[in-house]
Amino acid sequence: MGFLQPLALIALPLIALPILIHLINQHRHRTIPWAAMMFLMSAKRMSKGMARLRHFLILLMRVLAVAALIFVVSRPLSGGWLGSIGMSKPDATLILLDRSASMEIQDLQAGQSKRSAALQKLAQLLEQGDYGTHLVLIDSASGQLQEVDSPKALLGLPTTGSSATSADIPGMLESALAYLKANQSGRVDVWICSDLSENDWAVESGRWQAIREEFAKLEGVHHFLLAYADLPAHNVSVRVENVQRWERGNTAELILDVIVRSKGSSDITPQEIPIEFEVNNVRSVVEVELDGQGASLKGHRIPIDTKLRSGWGSVGVPGDANPLDNRFFFVFSEPTVRRAVVVSDDIKNGEAFRQALAIPIDPRLEHQVDVISVDRIAEGTSLSSLAVNHSLDSDTRLKGTSEWLKWETTGLLIWKAALPRGAVAAQIAQFVDSGRVVMFFPPNAPPATRKESQISDEQLFGSHWGDWQTPGNQKVFSTSWWRGDTDLLAHVASGDALPLNELRTYRYRSFESPGTPLARFDDDASMLTRVATDRGAVYFCSALPTAQFSSLEREGVIFYVILQRALENGCRALAVASQRDPAPDVLTDRNAWELVAPMDNSDAPLHLSSQRGLHAGVYRDGAYWTAVNRSQIEDNATAVPIETVDALFDGMSYRRIDVDVGDTSALASELWRIFLLAMIVALLVEAVLSLPSKRVKTTPLIDFTVAGGRTE
Amino acid sequence: MLQLKRDYLDQKVLERLSTLQLHARLPMIGSVSGKHRSPIRGSSLEFAEYRKYVPGDDPRRLDWRAYARNDRYYIKEFEADTNLRMCLVVDTSGSMNFAYNGTSKLDYARRVAGTLAYIAAQQGDAVGLYCAGTGFHKEIPPKRSATHLSAVLDELGEMEASGETGLANVLHETAERVPQRALIVVLSDLFIEPEVVRNCLEHLRFRKHDVAVFHLLEQSELELEFDRPMRFVDMEGGEPILADPTIIGAQYQRALEIYLESMNTVIHDTEVDYHRIRINENYDDVLARFLLGRTPKRHK
Repeated sequence: MGFLQPLALIALPLIALPILIHLINQHRHRTIPWAAMMFLMSAKRMSKGMARLRHFLILLMRVLAVAALIFVVSRPLSGGWLGSIGMSKPDATLILLDRSASMEIQDLQAGQSKRSAALQKLAQLLEQGDYGTHLVLIDSASGQLQEVDSPKALLGLPTTGSSATSADIPGMLESALAYLKANQSGRVDVWICSDLSENDWAVESGRWQAIREEFAKLEGVHHFLLAYADLPAHNVSVRVENVQRWERGNTAELILDVIVRSKGSSDITPQEIPIEFEVNNVRSVVEVELDGQGASLKGHRIPIDTKLRSGWGSVGVPGDANPLDNRFFFVFSEPTVRRAVVVSDDIKNGEAFRQALAIPIDPRLEHQVDVISVDRIAEGTSLSSLAVNHSLDSDTRLKGTSEWLKWETTGLLIWKAALPRGAVAAQIAQFVDSGRVVMFFPPNAPPATRKESQISDEQLFGSHWGDWQTPGNQKVFSTSWWRGDTDLLAHVASGDALPLNELRTYRYRSFESPGTPLARFDDDASMLTRVATDRGAVYFCSALPTAQFSSLEREGVIFYVILQRALENGCRALAVASQRDPAPDVLTDRNAWELVAPMDNSDAPLHLSSQRGLHAGVYRDGAYWTAVNRSQIEDNATAVPIETVDALFDGMSYRRIDVDVGDTSALASELWRIFLLAMIVALLVEAVLSLPSKRVKTTPLIDFTVAGGRTE
Repeated sequence: MLQLKRDYLDQKVLERLSTLQLHARLPMIGSVSGKHRSPIRGSSLEFAEYRKYVPGDDPRRLDWRAYARNDRYYIKEFEADTNLRMCLVVDTSGSMNFAYNGTSKLDYARRVAGTLAYIAAQQGDAVGLYCAGTGFHKEIPPKRSATHLSAVLDELGEMEASGETGLANVLHETAERVPQRALIVVLSDLFIEPEVVRNCLEHLRFRKHDVAVFHLLEQSELELEFDRPMRFVDMEGGEPILADPTIIGAQYQRALEIYLESMNTVIHDTEVDYHRIRINENYDDVLARFLLGRTPKRHK
């Protein structure tokens, strides 16, 4: 409980006034000589129980009445959080607002999202109380610190609006930490408004330890978590996994893979829901049966005008608890020429790569493969050509490197040579950063020259090649484990696993890498590893395709699928139409992105440059299209257990306030009415208790005609 | 007519009560002839009974008419009238000083006792006075002379109430010291345990005394009507008590009720002439009721 007029509490000792008056009264009584002392003594003996209790209650009621009066004057506020901070006011208040898409889950009756409810409650609370000289907002979407004039202003800021982004709570706390250290703000209240989404909190991150330690060093910082951990009873989200434009003769069509996820109660009866497609202002509806897990619509075809070479569309499901996941935008364009470059120090292996990459999966696709000797790369690259101008978009930067390599049209780079260094390494890093894919294969077989040994010491993406490994007693290495659920070795569309168990490897070259293994040999060495990168993909494969090293080329299927998938992934960055996750800098690669859709969303201030890229929508820059949608993890997000969240704040001054999204009550409300009522009740009880006892006029008292005896 | 100099005696009351006589409820053994019955047969005009002649009886008292009718010897006996001894026992403990609205219980007792003494003396009875109090203890044995009455009245006028009550002791002593049957008139507030009162009264009754009790109470004692805490100082010298009558009023009433019920039982068992009196009553009415109540039925 807190107080708007805490100074009034100074008068709290006045609650002793009734006791004091009682004691004074005891000493100011009248003295009277009394004869019938025997009755008084008997009465005193009899009145030790209830009468004393009654007297005590009278005093208690008087004390309560005075206390209630003082509380009324001090204007108490409800809200458990105030109890922990006592009566002191903060010098500054920081608000860490989770603007992730999952915060848009609404209470359908109140029509208010978790985010807006949290903002409203917080603004109301801060307006009633005192937030210090600084009110600073850190929103998860932009990650920027912003001084706010008043709590009310929070409600109208674009930086407190909805967004399709994900949040980085540890990052926001780090920003708060940096602010506090820079400003030395004294006593600070840090309010975190979040739905405890697992991906936003990253509870496994090692950053939490550092955050705890740093905050522990600061004095007077109190954390308040406004937790909206409740999940809606049922929520449906829609996502387009894949979209392709095909032409068949005189007709063109879009082929979409649509995933509908159902969250909440898993025992719901299957029901049909309409999925609405909109392409080129033409709408169509498909009914799908939705069970507890959701539904999928693979290969859904939508006919389009053959003249429509590129464009956008959307898929929607009926409105429910979270409006942000009910619509998914997509863009499409004609398939681009899938170009791969193979840099090899070995002609035979280079040819094997070329053959596997040149043959497209679909005959309508056009593949182009260039095999380049590693020596030519070294000749054609100079440091001067790496003048990186960060003001240019990624394609323009790549153009400035090696013209003959055609970086801007290449989706996949196969590097079968010693790891490059210097300018070439930087080029490859930029290549990956622009969303392309690089696969590293081991340099050629021994004899290892001194020069090669030196090269192999080089590291790229934190990885470097080791020694060649040959089987001992066993004749071959076999693949004992691989990830079939995702990435290059995922099961095929029919659900069958790739036959990696049939792969025979006669020699492989080990490598050290911080990446995630996708396949392992039976000696536990990694066969294929993916290195984590922000964009694009980097793979290291320890086996070579030719028969001298493995059966990859001979058996073909695995080798072909791996390369085709890597090429497909890399060429997505070449497409004029791209899908992107929302982020502040997601639209910075081009300067002329213009909003195409949605045009009627008044809630999301898409017209503001600061908010571009934070909301779901479609943007166009000439021939280039991009669709921004919430990230996939937002659809799968689950709430972190409360105990886990509490443990994250161990050692910090922390208070969690659990709120339901439908809870419209204020975090703190004035309680003076309750205390006024309490005072009235106390006075009434006191009055009743103080009423003199009803005198019992018994017969013997009035019977003055008693006479005994007899006359003889 | 006795010259009255005592201001507690009211001439009008004495004149009003002069038509009434004080009667004993039990036969008295007096020293002279008087107006009260005696257990001994005497020579008054009032026939008592016949009894058979036994040798040794005075032949002059034979009833010859009865002999003529029955041919048997009968002695005709007559009642003997004698005087009585009235012992006034006045409680002079401190509690008798209690006076909430003017008259104290001691003043009231003084008037009642004085008036009774005067009436008794007027009809030739002996009057004595016993003051029962640890602070004031006087003892005047009953005598019939006018000077003795004067001494009793003087003593009544001078007596003061103080200290604890010595009523029980005085009553026991009176029971033993008064040698023959007497009328014992007790004037007290009786703020002692009813069982103690019972013992005293039973002792008096055992000694064949006619006992009359004037139980004097003040109205405020019965109701305890105070609206604020009071410090009650014991008039008999005990520890003062600080109490809030608004809190203990009901318990006080209950204690009083228990006491009075016990006293009723004692009165019923001991068969004494008991009069519970509020001291705001006119004492002449009380005395008139007392005297009339003792008038023998045969006189009605």
